[in-house]
Amino acid sequence: MTKRFSIILSGMLALGITTTAIAGTDEAESCLRTKVWDGYAEGWGIRTMTSTALAAGKTRNYLVTFYKGNEYQIEVCGDKDVGNVDVILYDTNGRVVERDSTDGREPKVSFKPPETGTYYIVLYMRDLTGDKDEAGVAMAVVYR
Amino acid sequence: MKSLRSLTGLCASSALILAIACGGEETPEVTTPVEAPAPVPATPDTPTLSVADLQANAENVALVPSPVETQKALESAGIETQLSSLIPEHKFDMKSADIDHAALRTGVVLADTLLTIRNSEKDVLLARLEKIRVGMEQLNGGKDIDATLIDMRDRITAVAVSRDELLKEFDELSGAVIPELEFNGNKRIVPLIQAGSWLEGANLVAKAVTGLEEVSVADTLLKQPDVVTYFIGYVTGEGAEKAPEAVTMRLEQSLNTLKELAEKEGALNRDDVATVVKVTDEVLALL
Repeated sequence: MTKRFSIILSGMLALGITTTAIAGTDEAESCLRTKVWDGYAEGWGIRTMTSTALAAGKTRNYLVTFYKGNEYQIEVCGDKDVGNVDVILYDTNGRVVERDSTDGREPKVSFKPPETGTYYIVLYMRDLTGDKDEAGVAMAVVYR
Repeated sequence: MKSLRSLTGLCASSALILAIACGGEETPEVTTPVEAPAPVPATPDTPTLSVADLQANAENVALVPSPVETQKALESAGIETQLSSLIPEHKFDMKSADIDHAALRTGVVLADTLLTIRNSEKDVLLARLEKIRVGMEQLNGGKDIDATLIDMRDRITAVAVSRDELLKEFDELSGAVIPELEFNGNKRIVPLIQAGSWLEGANLVAKAVTGLEEVSVADTLLKQPDVVTYFIGYVTGEGAEKAPEAVTMRLEQSLNTLKELAEKEGALNRDDVATVVKVTDEVLALL
């Protein structure tokens, strides 16, 4: 389930667009927004930002197009109930082409595609720390 | 004594029995030790996902590249042409307020705005922003997005924001905010806005490639079969308010042609690139 982003653009109106609340996604989105905005200073632009809630052991998949010649990063932030969330990139044949190797709630994957093509980004909730059934995770695809 | 020795031996040998028997007069009831909870099985390092699993559950929110991203890919391929320099003067019919028409048109203007925001004249930028406002209103985008666009307009008018800042804000608006708007629950709108932006980008890229001596780079920039399939799914699907048949039919025909080219086994040639220009021009002319 995707939640619309509550976006606060720097120096702009606080849009405060909210819909169905998903526990923890506000915290995850806030963390991710900071990363994305910091990334602009290093030349990164944004393809998309989205958020979801995941239970332990569950995955969420996103189809994504990458251009050859561009550099991409998949940035993820989990909320305080996330013990370990992974981000894994699969090709369309189901092979893992890149993944993060961290234990934590802010994984990141960098990728320079050898050819223009379609891939699957998979968010994988390895472990929750709290007593809730699921936790909020926000994901952004940035490029330069 | 024997029983005492036995008791001592037992006490020394077993903490459990010590607890039960060493204490004294009364033999307490023996309780079954509480079993430790079974260890939670660790999640595997990599989830077991078949190709079918990946396909069946994939969301499309990150599928469509942005126009600025396309410009970067063009530059990475060694092409110096700025897509912004190829944008024609679109003569849009802003009164066509049917959903599909308005969504496609708004997508085109979003693409043009993103590509030109750094260098365009203030009046041109404001005119584009106004077209986006009109489109968002026709699409029931809501008060928040309208307030944001008005705020942008006011700051541009007052020269109170740098173009670099504006590009960031607009990039986020286009890539993160608009795709997450609900548009009164009409699920066709976001894909059609994206289709408008993508078609404009494809049109400009094809025109940029046409001017090159060697067109092999077209494969890198134009072959995106999954993107085209995604759009076709929405264009051919049932919608509450479809555009006039001329627009939908032309769009469907154009997307089918683009899909054939995107799935072509060999490299795209000059004729293929010319076809991309032609079919995208035909759709854009109807908006």
